[in-house]
Amino acid sequence: MIEIKNLHAGIAGKEILKGIDLKVNAGEIHAIMGPNGSGKSTLAQVLAGHPSYEVTGGSVIYDGKDLLEMEAEERSQAGVFLAFQYPVEIPGVSNSYFLKAGLNEIRKANGQEPLDSMQFLKLLREKMKLVEMADSFIYRPVNEGFSGGEKKRNEILQMAVLEPKLAILDETDSGLDIDALKIVAGGVNKLKSSDNAFIVVTHYQRLLNYIVPDFVHVLVNGKIVKSGGKELALELEAEGYDQIKEDAKVTA
Amino acid sequence: MDTSQSQIQHYKNEFSAFEKNGASKSPAWVHDIRKAAIEIFEKEGFPTKKNEAWRFTNITPILHSQFRYSSAPSVPKVEKKSIEQLLLKETAQHLLVFVNGHFSKELSAVGKLPDGVLLTNLAEAVVSHQKIARRYLGKIAKTEQSVFSALNTAFTYDGLFVYVPRGVQIAEPIHALYLSSGAGEQVYVSAIRNLVIAEEESSLMIMENFLSLEENKNFTNAVTEIEAKKKSRVELVKVQHESAASFHYENVHVHQEETSNVALFSLAAGSALARNDMQVIIDGEAAECNLNGLYIVTGTQVVDHHTLMHHIHPNCPSHELFKGILDQDSRAIFNGRVYVEPEAQKTDSKQTNRNLLLSDNATVNTKPELEIFADDVKCTHGAAVGGLNDQMVFYLKSRGIGEETAKGMLVVGFAAEVTGKISNEKFRQYVDAVVIDYLQTKLGMKDLPEIVHS
Repeated sequence: MIEIKNLHAGIAGKEILKGIDLKVNAGEIHAIMGPNGSGKSTLAQVLAGHPSYEVTGGSVIYDGKDLLEMEAEERSQAGVFLAFQYPVEIPGVSNSYFLKAGLNEIRKANGQEPLDSMQFLKLLREKMKLVEMADSFIYRPVNEGFSGGEKKRNEILQMAVLEPKLAILDETDSGLDIDALKIVAGGVNKLKSSDNAFIVVTHYQRLLNYIVPDFVHVLVNGKIVKSGGKELALELEAEGYDQIKEDAKVTA
Repeated sequence: MDTSQSQIQHYKNEFSAFEKNGASKSPAWVHDIRKAAIEIFEKEGFPTKKNEAWRFTNITPILHSQFRYSSAPSVPKVEKKSIEQLLLKETAQHLLVFVNGHFSKELSAVGKLPDGVLLTNLAEAVVSHQKIARRYLGKIAKTEQSVFSALNTAFTYDGLFVYVPRGVQIAEPIHALYLSSGAGEQVYVSAIRNLVIAEEESSLMIMENFLSLEENKNFTNAVTEIEAKKKSRVELVKVQHESAASFHYENVHVHQEETSNVALFSLAAGSALARNDMQVIIDGEAAECNLNGLYIVTGTQVVDHHTLMHHIHPNCPSHELFKGILDQDSRAIFNGRVYVEPEAQKTDSKQTNRNLLLSDNATVNTKPELEIFADDVKCTHGAAVGGLNDQMVFYLKSRGIGEETAKGMLVVGFAAEVTGKISNEKFRQYVDAVVIDYLQTKLGMKDLPEIVHS
């Protein structure tokens, strides 16, 4: 589904990603773990097309296309989704208007008829059950006045409505209590299929108890220094990142 | 004779004619107020850019037209059906309509009011309610502070008059509709003079709605005086959507007593040149004042807000949020003066001015002016001028939303923050609808969402 080769990227002249290689197939869940400042969020933002980040080398092929050549909205229309670590508040615009606008642009780009208000509302209500959100969130301005947990649930709701092929979850677990974490993870598990893939970026192993990855990669200082199965996450939890940082220094 | 001098002569001639015709029936004390004001006007003359309060606002375009004061019989006839869509939707309202500054009894509709409330036009009030009118008219406004106020005062004749007795709440909103209508080549000035008196523990809500019926040039020169007695509540929402060829000036003067609560909102969308002065004297302990505004300008429009919060007594909160959306070659000026006297300890004053530039050619001159003479106060101010927030644009784009649609949503969101400060729901809906209409018709934005508030 996506193949990242020797990806170099940074912001404001500072290189953060220093050669990332990663291949994700349909039906897989990959976890990216690593200490603060290792470049996890940068990778997520670069894949989603944040214009502030500059790609200085390497390639990303998504679904046979050069992802790096695409605008952020084109990536979304092609099925890439980023669940933000810090979801943005959009005052004045209702959650439903926002989501309907997004969904219909994606449908249009894929040659599908836009949904009318009735059809959309029906779909939205179904998906809201998935993340246990109250009806009132339909008409509230996007993320405005939402608690941290509500914002994260709203991200998963957006994912459920937009049905991406490749979903990147950037620290979706941060700031969540255990109940909210279970709801968010439950949503992801229900959406998981053999046709889509997930990249779950997280600092802690906790989320991976609920979203079980097929592969775990450890990112340190802009490079993936270790890859393995789900047991790697447990190792990291037990030993912390210090040992792996030391190992990385030796290899470098 | 230069333009400014010949214009002074022009308005003096207008004044003589005005005093002789319809306006001659006013009581002697009104004539005295007018006479004193025309003398101030003549002495001061029109401001130039050398005058600090007008440094960024060039008023010479106003001086290039011979605006006339229309006498009552010359006011164009306006059909009732042409104002139907201008009313507040689905609500009872006390409607007072003015055409070119003259009250129109036929177009107005004042409903049943609580005992003792006086809601009429000023020309009537200075005769029928002389005692109250005389006590307040010209006492709250400082005519000598602005030459336009002096000019307005010289032509004091008609406008909104509201008196709410002690303990009385007017439940329905008051809607003052000020229509400008031009006939052919002749251009008119409307000298609107409003007087609002809220006695102790009373409350009322007013919408001042200024618009042009045609795309004609007109000049609105208004002064509004508000007296808010102890524990009274006054909400005044102004909607200014006059023609793009028109000139607009309004000076709102507020005098607040202790524990009163006054909220003013200004939507400035129309006019080639619009200036709003808002001057609040917080003259009592624990009184609260909120000034909010939104301006939306494009083309070569110039919009100017000058505010003054004058804190005299302790424990008064005052808040100001003014936001601007500027496109093309438009210009906005914001000057927020906060004056805190030595006695006014525990003043809690916050002032914010944020501007969204949609064009590289738009200009903003923003200036906070804080003069604080008390030592135990919290006074903050902030100003920002910039484009759309990159993070917000990215968030929308990451959901498949294209650049244009994203821009529309963010502009609407930007406006919503400040229109959300309007507490009367019907007023807020009205303002939101005008905002959307302006963004679509004047700024050319498409497919805008309906504004929602949290």
